[in-house]
Amino acid sequence: MNSRFYYDLIALAVFCAVIFLGVPALMSYDGFELNTFARYLSLAIVSMALALSWGTAGLLNLGQAATFGMGAYAMAMHLKLKVSDGLPDFMGWNNVEKLPLVWVPFESLSFTLLAGLLVPAAVGGLIAIFMFRARIAGVFVAVITLAFLVAFQLLVIEQQGFTGGQNGLTGLAPLTLAGWTVDTYSVSFYYLVAGCLTVALALGVYISHSKFGLILRAIREDADRTRFFGYNVATYQTVIFCVSAALAGWAGMLYTLVLEFASPTYMGVSFSLAIVIWCAVGGRESVLAAAVGAIIVNLLEGRLSDVFVEGWHMLLGIVFVLVVMFMPRGIYGVIVDVVRRLNEARRGGRQDSAEDALLPATIQTNRER
Amino acid sequence: MKRRQFLGRVGAVGAVGMASSLSAPALLSSTRAAFAQGDDIPVGVLFSLTGAVAVVEHTLHDATLLAIEEINAAGGVHGKQLRPIIEDPASDPATYADRARRLMIRDKCVSVFGSYTSASRQAVLPVTEQRNNLYWYPTLYEGRECSRNVMYGGAVPNQQQDDLIPWAIENFGPRFYMIGNNYVYPKEENNYCKSLLSKLGGEVVHEEYVPLGHSDFSSVINRIRAEEPDVIFATVVGDSDVAFARQYHAAELDPAKMPVISLTRSEVEVKAIGGEAAAGHFSSAPYFMGHNTPENERFVENYKARFGADQVTHFVSEAAYFQVYQFKAALEKLDPSEITPAAIRDAAVGLTLNAPQGEVLIDENLHTHLWPKIGQWQSDGQAKVLIQSEERVAPKPYAAYEGQTCTGQGLVKA
Amino acid sequence: MDVVFNQLFAGLSMASILLIIALGLAIIYGTMGVINLAHGEFVMLGAYATWALQSFAGLGVLAALPLVFAAVAAVGWVIEKLMVQRLYHRPLDTILATWGIGIILQQAVRLSVGAESRFVKGPELLSGNTEIGALVMSNYRLFVIAFSIFVLVGSWMLMTRTEFGTKLRAVIQNRGISECYGIESKRIYSITFAYGAGLAGIAGALITPLFSTIPTMGTGLVVDAFLVVIVGGLGSLIGAASASVLIGEATALLSAVMNDTLGRIAVLAGIIILIRFRPRGLFPSDTRN
Repeated sequence: MNSRFYYDLIALAVFCAVIFLGVPALMSYDGFELNTFARYLSLAIVSMALALSWGTAGLLNLGQAATFGMGAYAMAMHLKLKVSDGLPDFMGWNNVEKLPLVWVPFESLSFTLLAGLLVPAAVGGLIAIFMFRARIAGVFVAVITLAFLVAFQLLVIEQQGFTGGQNGLTGLAPLTLAGWTVDTYSVSFYYLVAGCLTVALALGVYISHSKFGLILRAIREDADRTRFFGYNVATYQTVIFCVSAALAGWAGMLYTLVLEFASPTYMGVSFSLAIVIWCAVGGRESVLAAAVGAIIVNLLEGRLSDVFVEGWHMLLGIVFVLVVMFMPRGIYGVIVDVVRRLNEARRGGRQDSAEDALLPATIQTNRER
Repeated sequence: MKRRQFLGRVGAVGAVGMASSLSAPALLSSTRAAFAQGDDIPVGVLFSLTGAVAVVEHTLHDATLLAIEEINAAGGVHGKQLRPIIEDPASDPATYADRARRLMIRDKCVSVFGSYTSASRQAVLPVTEQRNNLYWYPTLYEGRECSRNVMYGGAVPNQQQDDLIPWAIENFGPRFYMIGNNYVYPKEENNYCKSLLSKLGGEVVHEEYVPLGHSDFSSVINRIRAEEPDVIFATVVGDSDVAFARQYHAAELDPAKMPVISLTRSEVEVKAIGGEAAAGHFSSAPYFMGHNTPENERFVENYKARFGADQVTHFVSEAAYFQVYQFKAALEKLDPSEITPAAIRDAAVGLTLNAPQGEVLIDENLHTHLWPKIGQWQSDGQAKVLIQSEERVAPKPYAAYEGQTCTGQGLVKA
Repeated sequence: MDVVFNQLFAGLSMASILLIIALGLAIIYGTMGVINLAHGEFVMLGAYATWALQSFAGLGVLAALPLVFAAVAAVGWVIEKLMVQRLYHRPLDTILATWGIGIILQQAVRLSVGAESRFVKGPELLSGNTEIGALVMSNYRLFVIAFSIFVLVGSWMLMTRTEFGTKLRAVIQNRGISECYGIESKRIYSITFAYGAGLAGIAGALITPLFSTIPTMGTGLVVDAFLVVIVGGLGSLIGAASASVLIGEATALLSAVMNDTLGRIAVLAGIIILIRFRPRGLFPSDTRN
């Protein structure tokens, strides 16, 4: 634990104050605005989950949307069963006569919540073991996870009788949580999502500052050297992949609650790349920054699309390109840089090596070989 | 550690946290002037202008806007102008849900006109039903839905197939090859077709589904060549259909022996396929651009004048167009002070309107009575109407499901 | 048996299209390690350029090929100069930047030409089929197969038999030392990127008569092309060719046995396993070790 841990805690506290007190007040507790913002917050969770594996361990997971989708579908399956007596309607239309076995346990909410975390974690773990045992790294991680994502989405669409196919799972019941029926337009639901994000962020901050996080960063910088120190690199990579997948599943469950349906587009390539973009815009080195990146990009998208109905997509593309080119470490990097320059200027340009040591290493990994 | 340094650093990370609240009032509170009983009537227009579905949806967007402009130019409704609020859901269901909320909750639209795919309609349904708003959906679809908050302007399976299948068996033969995209619409149309075929003594030689956006049909064409069916019953949509038709033509399969009979191919697709490749094949639809009525002549003329002489109208854009007029007629029946989505719906039931395809009627189940037609594509990209049904055909969204009927009270199960 | 032969031909035809799309990507990736997710949009630009040349200048697809190549190569050159050049030391970031470029190109086409699907007429000369027994082969598809082999051989000659190719290989092996010998690696990179983009343009021109020309047409293609390149091995032209044939034939045969969707899933699963056990591809080049 170094002093950066305390800065991160303070930043987290500021962030929480903003989302718990500032945002609802600014939006005058309006149901629609809070619902929209709750959507951004749930996306912030999946973005910070990616920051854990990508920013900390250097594993670019282009299949993050797959685990996100698993969580979303787990929640949707539970809500679908609640609204249908016995067999969900779309199964009847697809000539499925009996409730498939995999669906049965989703009657139970506690099973659903567990499955929404553990199934993505297990799948993420399997892929991770499969890849990291063979010391697959760099761009090949991206390709394997991307291929998995495409195959998984195709499979979900193909198995229409079990998954609702292209339409996804729609016509869902509202969630009942310990006697409280969740209204997605209520302030309490907003606080539920904000609370989930806070817990996820606290976990993320804790992981990045633990010894575990330090070893992950070591792996990111040079996996071979870390291996020579006697660390089992594959195990570390697998664990962080699982944690990241579970968090993505969690985000997926919340996303289903916000939008009131689950769709296979949650597992699409463009959604998955969008997650990467949010994370890059905020700054992949910090889970908090990645979460803020997701919120900012989505907020920007919402506002731009309101003003420039025809051109908002193009503007977003331009913003992404500019961010990647001129802010390689995202907003976080810019802020860290500015603060460092200010400090240097104050000390009259004197180099302070301790200062540099405190800063996270820039992600300018050597070109893949 | 130096205190100043510490503060600077808190500033750094804290600022990241604060960034979301920067200039928050401008960014966050995006309310527009509320509807209330103002000078105009806000209506939502929710068609994708970007993304894969934009190919078709931009024409629906255009047709809807054309009708709104015409109505406004003629003085509006009750002296009030219709104010279209346009959103671009970018062909993505999650964005549909988000934008529909904006239109229905924030902008207080009394109705929203939108969408082409079933997936996007279903994404919009939760907020529409919860807020008891009204969603005008112009597309042909698979039926089997009975929402009290959706006005269905397109054909359901019985309206497209009841005339078509007997005619196809009689003219070409009983052996059907079914090809569709892998989603609910093609599967449901095929289900209905199979039930008709079993009554009429037809058979399905092969049934297959390709992913949406699939573009290489070599294997499909090989299978068709091997099976030698009498009819290719196609429910392939959008650019997949364009690729399918072009490759079918390039493979020199003869439309006179093995015609493609499509439920989804319209003037838009044919324009991209090219008249030559489309010629000789058939489509079943309630409207073709060349249909000869004064209403249609006016529609086509205005559409071309507004959006360009090379533009085409088709059976979904026609519905998008006449639905706005149905909306207007319903508004006119209401007292200006009592305009709510639910009142508009109730006023719309039983309305008749001279649409470009003929006189259409809104059923109490909120689907539309239409005039099915069978058209053969010509090399100029237009369809020649071969058969037109004698009478207006009533919509039966649950025709394939015995004991279930969609009524004015919602779905009734016997 | 007839079905098998026809499917084999279908697979070969898919492979030729995959190859011609993937070739440019393979060259760019092999030379500068840039994963160009805008490659699909270069294909789309090629298709639209063909459409424009046909509808405004009356040129057929075949006559338009050189012009399309030049036009898309020029776009590629500009993009390389403006953006990609600054990212050579951050290969993973190129994925993001080129994806953004893809969005920009797609929207630019949509805003200027419109969202509707465009019609491009195939060459009259190549309509019809060639039949050998029960094997029916579309002449246009035969032409695409022949042309992709021609482009493959041409690119190989360029890289091995010309001075430019020698310089290019020198830069690939060691950029620093090549510069000491007076090779302008920046210029080599620009030209290579433009060449790869031009090839994508040609691919776009060739597929327009078969596919639908819309602004989003490139998005689906780039993932497949990307997989071909990785399976083939870093920058290996022969690798890309064999990977295309392997993937094309596997897709065709598996979709004959199952259906098109399951066939594609099976092929993707196969690709994942292949990368796991041969991460450096079918034909790894050892130039970078």
